[in-house]
Amino acid sequence: MDFNINNFVESFIYGMKYFPNTLRLVFIPLGVGLVLGTAAALVRVYKVPVLCKILAFVITVYQGVPIIVALMIYNLIFMMKYNDFAAFLHLKGTIADVDQIWIGIFALSLTAICSISEAIRGALLSIDKGQDEAGYSVGLTKIQTIYRIILPQMIPVAIPMLTNHVVGLIKASSVVMAIGIIEIVAGATIPSSRTYSFFEGYVAAALIYWIFTVMIEYLAKILRKHTGRFRRNLYD
Amino acid sequence: MIEVKHVKKVFGRLEVLKDVSVEVKDGEVVVILGPSGSGKTTLLRCINFLENADSGELTVGDIQVDFKKASKKDILAIRRKTSFVFQNYNLFANKTAIGNVMEGLVTARRVPKEIAEKRAKEALNWVGLSDKYDYYPSQLSGGQQQRVGIARAFVLDPEVILFDEPTSALDPELVGETLDIIKKVAERGITMIVVTHEMSFAQEVADRVIFMDGGVVVEEGSPEEIFTDPKEERTRQFLSRIISLEPTYTI
Repeated sequence: MDFNINNFVESFIYGMKYFPNTLRLVFIPLGVGLVLGTAAALVRVYKVPVLCKILAFVITVYQGVPIIVALMIYNLIFMMKYNDFAAFLHLKGTIADVDQIWIGIFALSLTAICSISEAIRGALLSIDKGQDEAGYSVGLTKIQTIYRIILPQMIPVAIPMLTNHVVGLIKASSVVMAIGIIEIVAGATIPSSRTYSFFEGYVAAALIYWIFTVMIEYLAKILRKHTGRFRRNLYD
Repeated sequence: MIEVKHVKKVFGRLEVLKDVSVEVKDGEVVVILGPSGSGKTTLLRCINFLENADSGELTVGDIQVDFKKASKKDILAIRRKTSFVFQNYNLFANKTAIGNVMEGLVTARRVPKEIAEKRAKEALNWVGLSDKYDYYPSQLSGGQQQRVGIARAFVLDPEVILFDEPTSALDPELVGETLDIIKKVAERGITMIVVTHEMSFAQEVADRVIFMDGGVVVEEGSPEEIFTDPKEERTRQFLSRIISLEPTYTI
């Protein structure tokens, strides 16, 4: 098999052209997942009545569904119901005016909330109950204790697991091409359908993902050191 | 004045506190003795609402609450009048020594930062840690951590400081330095309730000793009464076992 450098470079450039789409597909779900996932984890760890049971159930059930299946379901619901929904809310425009990437972002966000909440719950459970008690004993409220004592200690514990989830999210973002959203993989193989150099197209996509992932892991390492500076001998 | 009336607490089937009443006057140092599982730590934790008692009444200074009906606001008010020194220190791991001492002042009592910092430094100097302001708990020894813990409790200027076995986790060499600091707190005339197994400390510092067993107060009195002439058989039994562990000399 010949490896055509020119086709490879062309695929790489096409892939990079759609890199911003992948960025949106990763960082919007990550942001949503961090905020709502932390909230869900806190609800479960601090055992907020009723809500914690509901969340435990929903998260466990939702994690059992493959992301591509969920994506297909949302896409079908969207295609069938969007026009009625828009009419009901008196929105202007029809289904043709909506960027489909939002369906992908929605599906990935739900997955991110579930997996991130589990990672953060694990990190929260690793913190000694005595830290809460010490907070209460000097007169802090529950919210103040969580915000000033527990969360800062949770972050360095959670970062290795979160990095894993971000990397997973980067790779999972490629499944959205199943509903016709163009991201790195779909972009990098656009020239391939003309030149038949699919091998080069996929290698180009792999290279982009690899560079992206290495950068994320490097950033995570710096962040972990910075947030965990109160811990002794934990990170080199 | 601290007053606990008819407090009861059940863990599952285990009755840990069976109608305990204790009164502590202002400036008094009360030491609670007793075997493990006698409910002394639980009593202390109930006073600070780290444990929710099932029934009873609590008075701290001018606040009076029913354990069962206490609202969040009551609990916070009580906690802001009391402070707690833990057996395993429980310093905030993400804060430096001075950060630990300042936290209650700045966040809970809204003391301006500069004033809080000044008071925190005074408190740390007072416990002999003037060179450790910016050390994290992970960089301090057990004895140093417990001294920060005492400074953190002391700086809040509470109605009462509750000590829960403050030296149990320390090695014998560090027990002395920590007890010295606690004695200094006592000399300042601060009301204290101390749960400990250090008999000689109790004898030296306590104004009153309370002996608990099986969730009830068995006996209370001055240290002399309790140590030299206990009225109850159970107290005598407990003390004889403890004291026989300490070296005795015969000629």
